[in-house]
Amino acid sequence: MEVRYEWDVGIDGDEPRRVAEQFESLCIEHGVPMGVVFKFQLALDELLTNVVSYAFGQDAADPAIKVTLHLTDNRVMAVIQDNGRAFNPLLDAAKPDLDLPAEDRDIGGLGIHLTKAFVETLEYERRDGWNRLSLVQPTEAHQEENA
Amino acid sequence: MNVETSYSGTTAVATVSGRVDSANAKDFDQELRSIIDKGVSGLVVDCSGLKYMSSAGLRVLLIAIRKTNAAGGGLALCRVPDHIREVLEVSGFVRLTKVFDNLEDAQANFSN
Repeated sequence: MEVRYEWDVGIDGDEPRRVAEQFESLCIEHGVPMGVVFKFQLALDELLTNVVSYAFGQDAADPAIKVTLHLTDNRVMAVIQDNGRAFNPLLDAAKPDLDLPAEDRDIGGLGIHLTKAFVETLEYERRDGWNRLSLVQPTEAHQEENA
Repeated sequence: MNVETSYSGTTAVATVSGRVDSANAKDFDQELRSIIDKGVSGLVVDCSGLKYMSSAGLRVLLIAIRKTNAAGGGLALCRVPDHIREVLEVSGFVRLTKVFDNLEDAQANFSN
């Protein structure tokens, strides 16, 4: 099995959901284990939500966000690219203190925290004015669990 | 996302179903605020129909936890699907709120 898919994503709060739901449908259609689908979908949603919300100012000249997906029998891979302001969520995002009581917990940083926990390989690079986040998750271990 | 609510004294059960993400977290927030604003201090969120929840949903839960704690009660979750329970565990939310396997135990948590 080899599936490639590409989305052009608009600067709109509903766009991460559109991509996440289509991602889920594609994965189900191609037999990706549900445990992998949920975690990867969450990571994609969280990262895209960050980009849509923060990467571009009001006066961004030619904003663009692209997501490419590559499914094979043993892994799910996605690349999120945007030409917004340089931001490496893996380093620059606030780190939540999970031991604080509810009254003192900061409400930021949880999305990136979950993303790091749920995706095995997560890499960032800035090149030619583009942020590029790549996510890779193997699926074979989960297939064995479900066998 | 849909929320159905039943009330018993100062306790309420909000049954949330569908998908909670950044696109509709505001609606979820308004639903829970309107329940708490009716004088509810003990809020049970029944997650049995919940399909998906991102950090945007966690932020809404955190606000509701604070508000119900301040009212002298609290928030409890029940019937959480396994994949969403993992989100609660990884985000440390299992330390902020009780998670029950069934609705009766969650409700009993707030009865005198």
